[in-house]
Amino acid sequence: MPANTSANTTRRNMKPESAAWDALRRHASAQLHGGFADRVIRHAHGPVAETWRSLFAAGARRLSPGFADRVLRAARVATELPSLGSHLAVSAATAAVCLAAVLFVHQRSVERDDARNLAEWGRIVEIADDDTSV
Amino acid sequence: MESTSTTDLADLVRLAQKGNESAQRDLIILYQHRVAGFVYAMTSRSDYVEDLSQQVFIKMVRALDRLQAPAQFESWLFRLARNTCIDQLRRQKLRRIFLPFGDEHENIPEPPGAVDSEELDALRHALAQLRPQDRALLALVQEGRSHAEISEILNVSVAAVKARLHRAREHLREHYTPQHET
Repeated sequence: MPANTSANTTRRNMKPESAAWDALRRHASAQLHGGFADRVIRHAHGPVAETWRSLFAAGARRLSPGFADRVLRAARVATELPSLGSHLAVSAATAAVCLAAVLFVHQRSVERDDARNLAEWGRIVEIADDDTSV
Repeated sequence: MESTSTTDLADLVRLAQKGNESAQRDLIILYQHRVAGFVYAMTSRSDYVEDLSQQVFIKMVRALDRLQAPAQFESWLFRLARNTCIDQLRRQKLRRIFLPFGDEHENIPEPPGAVDSEELDALRHALAQLRPQDRALLALVQEGRSHAEISEILNVSVAAVKARLHRAREHLREHYTPQHET
């Protein structure tokens, strides 16, 4: 209470302009939250090594026990499973075999049709020859 | 002491390269926590850590015989980790573009208690604002990689590493604002 009285007395003795500045400064500083200086220092320097260590440690804690064995098992399975490349190779080979089969069948049917047509033409020619001779 | 441990590591890597499963297991156990930490720094997602770390080590086991210099194992492993994380972040970004309504499950906040302190939370938040490449750079430095090693990992000059690192640190500082209670 005596401190307040002395502050009031000081303010009364101040020029109005100085008192206004004083009030403004008090109002502005009241806007700063606690630990302001620490926050500024941290912001200026960036995260300290300890924070980085905490971050890496937090990541490390996420691994469940038996991690290495799980990785080795998964790696073995991954090796046994056909890769994308081998999948593509099998698909390409299958497509090539199918194409060859289609071409072969097409070729055979064209040859058969040609032979039949030639035979028919032969018969037509024979009939025509017979008609001419008659 | 340092050179002895480097020799031991190189021997272990050589054994693992020959397909010795026990050596491969030892390598995984030796590096699993560091890789998990790196993955967490890169993704800021606890639920990705185990899965991505597993991917990194599966790639390691499968590609180990192609590693020319066993002494460079650490740099090589962290290059695998970096590339795996960046691929994952790219896939995640693409998924967000093509499945805009399916992203609720992509942004699950950390469960309570997963974050230890406000500084850590602020660091995770700040890292999340950076490009994955910058995140990787900062995480590699924290992992103890030298500028020369990082330049090999990223295939850029040491000068470029220093410049990028400077910019990445600046960006991190801009976004790093821990909220302190009174």
